Amino acid sequence: MALFDNLALGLATALSPSALMFCFAGVTLGTLIGVLPGIGAMAAIAMLLPLTYHVPPTEALIMLAGIYYGAQYGGSTASILLRLPGTAQAAVVTLDGYPMTQAGRAGVALFITTLASFAGSMIGVLLLAGFAPVLAGIAGSFRAPEYFALMVLGLVAAAMLGQGTPLRGMIMVVAGLALGTVGTDLQSGTFRFVFGEQRLTDGLGLVAVAMGLFGVSEVIANAARPPHERPAYRVDWRAMIPTREDWRRALPAMGRGSVVGAWFGTLPGTGSSIAAFVSYAVEKRVSRRPERFGKGAIEGVTAPEAANNAAAQTAFIPTLTLGVPGDAVLALMLGALILHGIIPGPGLIEAQPSLFWGLVVSFVIGNLMLVVLNLPLIGLWVSILRIPYRLLYPAVLVFVCIGVYSVRNAVFDVWLVLVFGLVGYGMRLLRFEPAPLILGFILGPLMEQYLRRSMAISRGDPMVFLERPMSAAFLAVAGGLIGWIAVSAWRGRRG
Amino acid sequence: MSGLRLDRRAVAGGCLAAALGAFAIWEGSGYAIGTVRRMGPGWFPVALGGLLMAMGLALALWGLRRTPTDEEPAERPDWRALAAVAAGLAGFAALVERAGLVPAVFALVALASLAAGPPRPLRILALSAVISALAFLIFRLGLGLPLPAFAGWR
Repeated sequence: MALFDNLALGLATALSPSALMFCFAGVTLGTLIGVLPGIGAMAAIAMLLPLTYHVPPTEALIMLAGIYYGAQYGGSTASILLRLPGTAQAAVVTLDGYPMTQAGRAGVALFITTLASFAGSMIGVLLLAGFAPVLAGIAGSFRAPEYFALMVLGLVAAAMLGQGTPLRGMIMVVAGLALGTVGTDLQSGTFRFVFGEQRLTDGLGLVAVAMGLFGVSEVIANAARPPHERPAYRVDWRAMIPTREDWRRALPAMGRGSVVGAWFGTLPGTGSSIAAFVSYAVEKRVSRRPERFGKGAIEGVTAPEAANNAAAQTAFIPTLTLGVPGDAVLALMLGALILHGIIPGPGLIEAQPSLFWGLVVSFVIGNLMLVVLNLPLIGLWVSILRIPYRLLYPAVLVFVCIGVYSVRNAVFDVWLVLVFGLVGYGMRLLRFEPAPLILGFILGPLMEQYLRRSMAISRGDPMVFLERPMSAAFLAVAGGLIGWIAVSAWRGRRG
Repeated sequence: MSGLRLDRRAVAGGCLAAALGAFAIWEGSGYAIGTVRRMGPGWFPVALGGLLMAMGLALALWGLRRTPTDEEPAERPDWRALAAVAAGLAGFAALVERAGLVPAVFALVALASLAAGPPRPLRILALSAVISALAFLIFRLGLGLPLPAFAGWR
């Protein structure tokens, strides 16, 4: 059986000491930044991108992925104990998690969210292992027009379904695409938007742009935040055990959440925060007593946690098989792969079997580590929540500066971080989300190449996108999405 | 409360986006645009610039006609934090190659600490010293970053 060979290869890769070490480092760091409000997974991964230059790609990806799904676990802790979401995905968990804390049921909430996270992740990993190779097979016949259309769909979905208004999201996507054109045009060798600056001929560095937009602007926005109240939670094992009634409500919710999350994760461009929000809405709808929601309903913490973790795993399906990232965090990971000279696409699983299967197995190992980190060691994270932000953020900035400098020993990149930090803070004030911008920035150069190739194939006839069935389908979905959002926005304004 | 009924942030953001689009068109049309069949290096930037201009203007017009609701809490700009963090990064950039890792990190932490509120000199000095020492231990001794701790000293 090929599956067993693949799993054996994955086990051999993921169980090597260095892979285990990077996996552990990733999930621990992920939990840490997930727990801490004010530092998101995006900022943390941007901060650690420089490190991946010095590490083989498989280990690098195992670690970055560990941060990503580790943050999904940690994110719920501060949501439940302090009503401060550690990550965007965990914002939903505050709705019923904090009332549970007020009712003295914080232990049950922490226990059940960890369990839900694990269940959701495992379902996601199974789907990843089962469907990614199949999807890669289908996508093997994709040519330039299909890729172009798929990227259009991914970017439109990211803009329409992300936080903030759809029009602002589209503006960010296009601005990101435009930033991606800075540097040398590959086909003609023309310098674009370089303005005589030698260090821009390679384009704007992904690390500097991402660190500025996500890390520095977050620090500026949170630096003067008044210290939050200290969590009063004491770890008590007996208080963590759910009642029979809790189980009866939580287990089906876990299943529903996992399904919703897995579905949203697979769609290119939609991230795990949407999955969490949608699954909360689903729970409210299927519940016979929706009035309990917002007052400590256990389904309200269980389903979104299962959903965002399932989505975090299935989001790797489009990222690794199509080269179209599920959300901005995965776009950064895609960027990390490209930096290592690996172009994600249908050929990746065949060409890099140890990378793909090693990653899949490492997800299982990493999730097991996370259960240990989040249940017996919960007290550690609660005490970390007591560190004031004013001590943390200078250290974050030091990490950002040294990290970006170390990529190519260039002070110029530190100045770029400063510029993009200011730009990112300005965007924040004007209510523009940076995530669609970074997606556009990473996909931009690829998209331009696919567009040019499509036009060369079709001799300049744009109908090629509609004549090929798959690309027509992708564009139709993108168009439908825009239409649906436009109509509901128009109705909302009148009604 | 001003008498003007408009969403200022949408108007400002839309105008900025439109300006960026106009700039992309202006600069991009300086490169060879080519034809649809054989696109030159200018084609994609100019097309993006056009899209950006159109959407920016749409956002600005939309902002002119609406009043922000109370559900959208306005985030007040924190100029102090902005200046302090920017000064810290600039300090690091200016010092890291001229003076070395430790002075650069010290300047970064000391300046950026001012973002949190009224300065408390002793606390800031202590924090800067501790983080500089840690940065030296982790990045110079631990990871072997090719940067002298102090310029001219090995």
